[in-house]
Amino acid sequence: MFCIKGEGKNKDTIIHHYRKGGTTLKTSKSCLKGIIRAGATAVLFAACVAFAAPVGLPPVPVPVDNPMTPEKVKLGDKLFHDTRFSTTGEVSCATCHDTAKGFADGLPVSEGIHKLKGTRNAPTIINSAYLHTQFWDGREPSLESQSAQPFLNPVEMGLKDHEPILKIVRSDPEYSALFSQAFGKTGEQITMTEVKQALGTFERTLISGNSPFDQYYFKGDKTAMSPAAVRGLDVYVNQGRCVSCHRIEQTQALFTDNRFHMIGVSANQMPRDLEELSAAVRNVKEKGTDIAVLSNPRTSSLGRFAVTGDLTDIGAFKTPTLRNIELTAPYMHDGSHKTLEEVVTFYNNGGALNETDTVPELLSGGIRPLNLTDEQQADLVAFLKALTSPEFAPK
Amino acid sequence: MNRRAFLKATGTGLMASAFPISLVKLAFGGQDPSRDFTFGYISDAHIQQIKGTQFVRNWDMGLIRAVREANLLTPRPDFFMFGGDLAQLGKKEELDHGLEIMSNLRGKVRYVIGEHDYYLDLGKYWQDKISPLYYSFDHKGVHFVVLNSILTYHKWTYETWPSPMDRMLAMARLDNPQGSPFMVGDQQIAWLKKDLAKINQNTPVVVFSHSPIQKIFKPWNFWTQDAEKVQALLKPFEKATVIYGHVHQIQYNQIGNITFQAVMATAWPWPYPETYSQSASCLPKITVPMNRADPFFERDATGWQFVDMNSGKTAMHYQLPDNPNRTVIFDAATGKPKDVKYQDYIRRIPPQTHF
Amino acid sequence: MRNSKFSKSACLAALIGLGFLAISFSIQADDFSEADLKRWNQEFMSVVMAGEKLFHSADLGTNKVSCDQCHPNAANTHPETYPKFQQQIGRVITLSEMVNWCIRNPLEGEPLLLDDPKMVALLSYITYERRSVPLAPGKH
Repeated sequence: MFCIKGEGKNKDTIIHHYRKGGTTLKTSKSCLKGIIRAGATAVLFAACVAFAAPVGLPPVPVPVDNPMTPEKVKLGDKLFHDTRFSTTGEVSCATCHDTAKGFADGLPVSEGIHKLKGTRNAPTIINSAYLHTQFWDGREPSLESQSAQPFLNPVEMGLKDHEPILKIVRSDPEYSALFSQAFGKTGEQITMTEVKQALGTFERTLISGNSPFDQYYFKGDKTAMSPAAVRGLDVYVNQGRCVSCHRIEQTQALFTDNRFHMIGVSANQMPRDLEELSAAVRNVKEKGTDIAVLSNPRTSSLGRFAVTGDLTDIGAFKTPTLRNIELTAPYMHDGSHKTLEEVVTFYNNGGALNETDTVPELLSGGIRPLNLTDEQQADLVAFLKALTSPEFAPK
Repeated sequence: MNRRAFLKATGTGLMASAFPISLVKLAFGGQDPSRDFTFGYISDAHIQQIKGTQFVRNWDMGLIRAVREANLLTPRPDFFMFGGDLAQLGKKEELDHGLEIMSNLRGKVRYVIGEHDYYLDLGKYWQDKISPLYYSFDHKGVHFVVLNSILTYHKWTYETWPSPMDRMLAMARLDNPQGSPFMVGDQQIAWLKKDLAKINQNTPVVVFSHSPIQKIFKPWNFWTQDAEKVQALLKPFEKATVIYGHVHQIQYNQIGNITFQAVMATAWPWPYPETYSQSASCLPKITVPMNRADPFFERDATGWQFVDMNSGKTAMHYQLPDNPNRTVIFDAATGKPKDVKYQDYIRRIPPQTHF
Repeated sequence: MRNSKFSKSACLAALIGLGFLAISFSIQADDFSEADLKRWNQEFMSVVMAGEKLFHSADLGTNKVSCDQCHPNAANTHPETYPKFQQQIGRVITLSEMVNWCIRNPLEGEPLLLDDPKMVALLSYITYERRSVPLAPGKH
């Protein structure tokens, strides 16, 4: 799906929306209104540049400086799967974000070149276009800016800088054609900006809704979810207290609030005193956040704090979406929870895997023991499995 | 060591807001930097017993968090105050449990009593185990006074209630139509007069009190019946500040030469009196209010604070786990306290959004 | 014709009779008697007082916390803004559902049925303390 700017009969600029593979023309009325009201400046198109969204999701936000085109998608797809952008020639984006594994990798923490282990669990790319920030600690503001980072991380692709990438895309004949079609640029004109924009565009097509939950909740199909999942939805919204952070709303469900919360995962990894905290902070300052957090578990445990320096954010990580969560085990920022059952147990205990563990003192005020019965917990897991989109459903 | 040198030494220069570091550096020039210092203030914990050793987890977590964060305050403050209402119903179990949590705080602690601590046994356990009910002390040239400002009329206290717990429950209910206004009382007024006579009028004075030593909203006892008498005793002093608890919200005010600063509760927030539509209130107009809290996040609109003394006036740094921190300084140019982030009434940006 | 005089007066009488009937019907349909109004108001206030008691009771939940600890005089409950989208529940809800949320969460108790007399009493008290405030449904 993509959109093209055109001219309407009043000489107002309108947006034509094309369905993927089809030629249906649809003008967004809200776009027109916004244009007329706002005086039609290019910047304001950003808010309404959109295309038809899946059931249960809003239109995907598209940055105004990187509109979607089929050529960019094709280019981005190729870049995403290209292992040449690593020192060993074996690691691409798809290594950790594998189509067959829910665009994650099924590992607790990802492994890059030489199977070097990082500290964090690969998040799925599906629906990441809806997130306001990227990475578990939100250190990058967009898909485009995120895409350039793993190339330079010593435990991911291991490159010293982006030059090897540019060398390949500027000289490879297939890439030359694709860059020319996508951006009208060749040779030295191709920069990391184009690479990032192509990757971002490709990732923006990886959206999916229309899960059994969406059919049940937004389409009114009462047979779409199993009885256990229906009971699980009730737990989710009431006693489970899930909905406040993993949001469901009246007409859409992103399953995330795009905020950061300290829920107590692997609290024993966190700095235990001021000295350890200072050391972790120095680590971030010296190496840069991206490299520091993936190289040291104690630094990684700082979470959002490594980005903002705000004590409120210590140990806080971004609320991920729960769509397709059945596909992306293991769970949490460090992959420390193997199954959904374990995750539910963790929350039921109020932020601990074992009922008798003490919770960290800086725990988010939203986390507390839930007193769910075994049946309620099982129902909740059944509900979580109803969030898988049909195109990704396990066979 | 000033702040810049400290930050350099610990290598946290770029993450300046990393720790609750006290701004010992003067904000607007002072006479004697060696007389500037910081103290921490934790208040209104309301430890509440459910049954036996089971206490309301929400309030426990509030105090635990405040103590934990206060232990990270760097450099260490000179001392801590506890601002009153350690217990919810003044029970020994509640006070003991609160003291247990407070015992993890690294630093000397002095205590102010609140009505929730007092009205079960009229302060007996408090005096035996924790602290005198009113007293004064000096520190680096500042005269500190701790008042028991939650007393009330003799008849209400001694001749009205069938049992001590009935009396405690009556006082515990904030909106009680059968409540009775707080006061300092003549005995303490007389003591205060003598106490203040010993110091000269250039000495900065800071009064720690549970009730506001002002008249803000009588239905909820945001009120001190003999406030004017206390204020009159403070009038001769060039630099006078009153720090009070009880209200569970950010408030600040200036009456003549006296600066008033409220502290936050670790337990739960209270709405501003304006939100009660059936009664008028006198909330100080210069106060920039907090937002309405999200009750899902139990620490929303709760917190603790630390206070910098600069040249005998206070700068209060509110540490709020779920909200942007706020700082209220004394603005020498206008002679009034001011929130440094949110401006005065006319030019105000609304601080936060509402639920 | 022979009965015209009779029928005329009969008609008149009937008309007058009907008139009276009509007037007495209108009294019963349009006006509340002072006595009724007073009595119904007392009945309402008795439910308000029952709600006030529940609102201040330590036994609505399981942890001894009462509503007035956070909401003295039911302040900050904003009943005039309901129904509205409530993020903590994920959809547009009525006031009674929010009351139940509070009973479940800060009070750690069991929610009430929507027509439970306790719920009606709580709602009566909460809205009574907010009387005369204009409606603002959906407002945050």
